[in-house]
Amino acid sequence: MEKVIEICSLTKLYKNGRGIDDINLEIDQGDIFGFLGPNGAGKTTAMKIMTGLIRPDRGDVRIFGHSITESYEKAMAEVGCIIEIADSYPFLTAYENLRQRARCYPGVDDHRIDEVLELTGMIKYKQEKPRKFSLGMKQRLGLAAAILARPKVLILDEPLNGLDVEGMIDVRNLIKQMAEQEGTTFFISSHLIHDVELTCSRIGVIVNGKMLNVDSTEKILQNYATLENYFVSEVERNGRV
Amino acid sequence: MAAYKAALINEIEKLYKKRKALVALIISLVVIVLGQLAVVGVRTGFGVRGTGSVEFPVLVLSVVVNTILPLFTALVAIDCFSGEFSHNLMRVTLTRPVSRLKIYTAKVTAIAVFILANLLILMVFSMLAGFLFNANSATLTAVARTVLVYVISLFPLFTLALGIVFLANILKSGTSVFFVAIIVFLAIKAFGIFFSEYSSLLVTTQLDWYNLWLANSLPLAKIGREFCLMLGYALMFFAAGFYLFDKKEF
Repeated sequence: MEKVIEICSLTKLYKNGRGIDDINLEIDQGDIFGFLGPNGAGKTTAMKIMTGLIRPDRGDVRIFGHSITESYEKAMAEVGCIIEIADSYPFLTAYENLRQRARCYPGVDDHRIDEVLELTGMIKYKQEKPRKFSLGMKQRLGLAAAILARPKVLILDEPLNGLDVEGMIDVRNLIKQMAEQEGTTFFISSHLIHDVELTCSRIGVIVNGKMLNVDSTEKILQNYATLENYFVSEVERNGRV
Repeated sequence: MAAYKAALINEIEKLYKKRKALVALIISLVVIVLGQLAVVGVRTGFGVRGTGSVEFPVLVLSVVVNTILPLFTALVAIDCFSGEFSHNLMRVTLTRPVSRLKIYTAKVTAIAVFILANLLILMVFSMLAGFLFNANSATLTAVARTVLVYVISLFPLFTLALGIVFLANILKSGTSVFFVAIIVFLAIKAFGIFFSEYSSLLVTTQLDWYNLWLANSLPLAKIGREFCLMLGYALMFFAAGFYLFDKKEF
């Protein structure tokens, strides 16, 4: 299997002592990697470094062999992402927001924009501005933007945030379909542990900025009744719930 | 280059769609109308000639280059940076395969495009107003010189914009950038008045450099010196602004 994401000795410590410390991780092509951890464990920090929004103190992230700190454009060429909140420009319509993104990728045309709007159930709001959208609709538009350029890697921080049940099922199915049919690699953080259990093929747990354990979901579920039990036991073992 | 071009088109589209740029252009046109009414009023009320058809655009430039143009330039420059910082929109812009240098350059280029568009619209409408209300003879040379003084006014205004972009990358809120920019602008203006021997070194004085281009025999040495000073300021503001932008965490 081709290594898509390589995280080496990644460290970023904030003045308040939080952050991440010496994280090492490798994600193979087609993996749906679930990144679990309590609040403030360092999930978003790691994902922000992976997308170039913040710089690490030490270490590096390589995507398809390209360093995010040294060759950002090449590293991000095949990456789609949602970090924290699926933001969009409130003064542009849903279509214009996607058009802005489409300009940065060769071969993404209006037909593809309609296709992703259809996939995320946003086609009827194509000409509306996100300032009038609910959180769930903004999230759907963010997902549409993330998958627009048919990325080979998707880094999604809380992708189900604000979605209704139907939306969650749709997104879950979309993730599985992309991983199976197109070999897309996913790096997902979510607090909805049941959804992670249903979606992800590998799980990593981070607590207090340190990576505790990485294992396949199948193997974890052989030893624990649910992923939640595994997560609680891992976190408890490291001193907090 | 393709990434930079995409980023530039995106930035120009955002400026256009935000309507702030449009409001700035409309206010600029209102200034022309008011200016023209004042000229007509002076002529009919006091019998004073006021300005001729090709002098009116230069009169308009002399007023706007020290007032509304720096103001609108500041508003647009602040909106391009602080506006996106405060609404977390910079994440949308940055999480694309475009380097920060290209995004920063595209943003400042979009600001330059706005300044140039504002200057050209002011020029066209002030020329039209000049011809309509002061129908006297205008030579082609005078018209060409008017075009020239409007176009070259882009340089000091762009230098000023880069200074404001630098400030926008230091201070967090757009409101603080706006007020600090106004205070610094007025302070430099005052400094130029009280210490006139140093005034030629100041960005605020260079806003009036179009006057050098109106002289019958061009003072080339002085023009060259002013241009080099502006270029120096622009390069320093650009580099310092980018240094801060590149270090920012979103």
